[in-house]
Amino acid sequence: MKKILVADDEMSIRLLYSEELKDEGYEVLTAADGREALDIVEKNPLDLVILDIKMPEMSGIEVLRQIKEKNPNLPVLLSSAYSEYKQDFGTWASEEYLVKSSDLEDLKAAVKRHLQD
Amino acid sequence: MSWKKKNSACSLIPAVRGQYHRPNFQTLASFAVADDNFLYGVLLLVDKKRRKLDTATLKLIKLACLMLAGTIRQALRHDETKKRIAELSGLYEIGMATSATMELDALLERILSTAAKVINARGAILRIIDEQTGMPRVASEYGEVSETSACLLTSNLETAVVSGELPFVATTLPDHQGHLHSYLGVPLNFKGHLKGMLCVFDKMSETLEFQEFDAENRQLLFTMAGMISSSIENALTFRELETLAEKNERMVRVLTVLQEISWALMTTVRMEKILDIILNALTLESGLAYDRAVVLLVNEDRHVLKAVKGVFRKPSPPTLPLREALMVPVEVRTESEIEKLLSQLQITLQEDKGILARTVLQKKTFHIAQAEQDARVNQELRRAYDLQEFVSVPLIVKDQVTGVIVVDNQQSKRAIRDEDVQILNMFANQAVLAIENSRLYSTIEANNRELSLIRERMLESDRLAALSGLAQGMAHEIRNPLTSIGGFARRISKKVGKNSPLRHDVEVITQEVERLEKLLREVLDFSGVNLGYYEEHDLNQIIEDALTLIKRDLVASNIKVAKDFALLPNVHCDDRQIKQVFYNLFQNARQAMDKGGTLTIRTYPMEKSDGLYAAAAVSDTGGGIPLELLHNIFNPFFTTKEFGTGLGLSIAERIVSRHYGQIEIINELGKGVTFIVTLPIAKYCLIKSTEDQEAQT
Repeated sequence: MKKILVADDEMSIRLLYSEELKDEGYEVLTAADGREALDIVEKNPLDLVILDIKMPEMSGIEVLRQIKEKNPNLPVLLSSAYSEYKQDFGTWASEEYLVKSSDLEDLKAAVKRHLQD
Repeated sequence: MSWKKKNSACSLIPAVRGQYHRPNFQTLASFAVADDNFLYGVLLLVDKKRRKLDTATLKLIKLACLMLAGTIRQALRHDETKKRIAELSGLYEIGMATSATMELDALLERILSTAAKVINARGAILRIIDEQTGMPRVASEYGEVSETSACLLTSNLETAVVSGELPFVATTLPDHQGHLHSYLGVPLNFKGHLKGMLCVFDKMSETLEFQEFDAENRQLLFTMAGMISSSIENALTFRELETLAEKNERMVRVLTVLQEISWALMTTVRMEKILDIILNALTLESGLAYDRAVVLLVNEDRHVLKAVKGVFRKPSPPTLPLREALMVPVEVRTESEIEKLLSQLQITLQEDKGILARTVLQKKTFHIAQAEQDARVNQELRRAYDLQEFVSVPLIVKDQVTGVIVVDNQQSKRAIRDEDVQILNMFANQAVLAIENSRLYSTIEANNRELSLIRERMLESDRLAALSGLAQGMAHEIRNPLTSIGGFARRISKKVGKNSPLRHDVEVITQEVERLEKLLREVLDFSGVNLGYYEEHDLNQIIEDALTLIKRDLVASNIKVAKDFALLPNVHCDDRQIKQVFYNLFQNARQAMDKGGTLTIRTYPMEKSDGLYAAAAVSDTGGGIPLELLHNIFNPFFTTKEFGTGLGLSIAERIVSRHYGQIEIINELGKGVTFIVTLPIAKYCLIKSTEDQEAQT
């Protein structure tokens, strides 16, 4: 079973993403801030990470940088409420930049795409 | 005296003479007829017989001789007195003549006729020479004088005056071709200076025979010359004063007119009004009264002189004072061919392009008396405008020629005097100040407009920046809860069965969340346009990109796309913003054609007055916009759609205007709407922004 980490400071988002991804048949871990996310990445073998950008303790961008330093092959998706950062970070290190939307089809499609590789 | 003696001798001597050969008298007595001073003659007494005169007889005869001498003396005195009286009466008449009038011509005529009459001459000539020019200043004649004679006399006189020699009393004429028999000339001295001569010619006897002038005539003429010279001088001075006074009066009138014009010019700073006042002033009967007047202004950039406005003379409105008449707007009647031509009159500023170009280049007024014979005149223009005599005056301010005024009297043919040219120059000085004022004023006005435009734009970008900051903050705060609300609603919707009563409720939540998310996207994109990045782009490519974004929606709504793209020069723009413009327009068209239709996109180059533009026309077949809504469509947050934000067209309009472009709308009720977007092509856009910068500085 593929293992996915969802890092977001919003509890409702963590809940939504993990419920939805579990329904798709994945194992989901969650983190409420950037530091916790890095801890989990270090301690667990993961198949994919979904990162919010604006988080307490450590921003998603910093988490992304450190993950890619140690595990350059671990796919990371950025998921943010900020559409305007897409221009800056859309092609930077992360596999994809997704603007948050209640329609999770795009997100699920992206997860599926990167776990197949 | 002598002829009297001769006469008395003649009656006696022949009788005596006849008898000398055969003396038949025995007695001869001779007596002197004399008084104490003078011997008048001799009295001879003859007798055939021999006789002796007694003492008493001798005494008697001596007494008779004495009485005879007295009688002769009386007679001689009488003659003398008669002559003197004649002379005196001649002088009296001259005197009368000199004081009769101050009018020079009448005075000279009287003097000359009197002089001729007194001396019994056939005629008289008077010349006064101007020392500076050597030409006759005054020339007057009486009696029949042939031209050659007059010339001869005049040239003799000129020589005498110039050489300073006293003139001549010539009783025989050097040249007999002149039909003059004899003449007598005396100098005319003004204040001790020889200035001219008085001359009488051809003295006639009572029996109309030519006679020589004698010393008495000469004396008389000298006396006359002395008498008349001062009165002639007075009359000359008087005439000059009169001329001066007339000139002064004209000057005063002109100055009054100029003052009125100046007053009128001060009432306005509007160029159009100033031009009207200038043209009125030049052509009004109560103004400077020229037949035609044209104002041309210099365009520095293009080095040309261009006609701005011209007018033909019109009669002054009879009841209107000049001041008000000046303010009446000039209506250019275009029915006249010449005035039609005027609107196209444009002269390149090169010396060989005619007088008007020279006026500008040499900063000089030109008064052309005969345009046809003047090599400097542009003959093409002369023919086109029927120029004869004209004046071309530069409008100079700060040593720069800003324009030219041209006037002529084409119809009335009234000659233009040097004095008129002077007045024109004075007028031009006033006119140019008014024109310059107006120019400065409009520059200030334009700068003000530009400034307020810039301020408006700055305010707008401030507003947008604030909106942007607010929106970004909101996005994070709202997007997260929206995502989870919507996400969970979708989950519920999947879990409840198709027939569950909950299903409809959950779908409402899902839809409302979608609507809010869409609003968020549009608001964020609107605020995001501040991050402009301008480069040269192909408008056709941008439109293609925008079309790709919406292609799926169009297909879903059963809308066909018709494209007609022309090859376009690049436009200077932020391609993302322009893509947004067309995306919004396409969205708008799609929503207008919810039951299907055709979206037509046509691009083409377009020339406007200020440069070349790339144009794109986007047409739908959605039936058009109801008239009552038309004026609102570019207003933010105005929408007719259930799910619209009302920002689409407003955003498009702002982006385009920020690119110095325009959006026009052609609304055909019952058919559809065409939006025409025009954007300046790159080259002109750069020029525009440079102009802006110049205007700001």
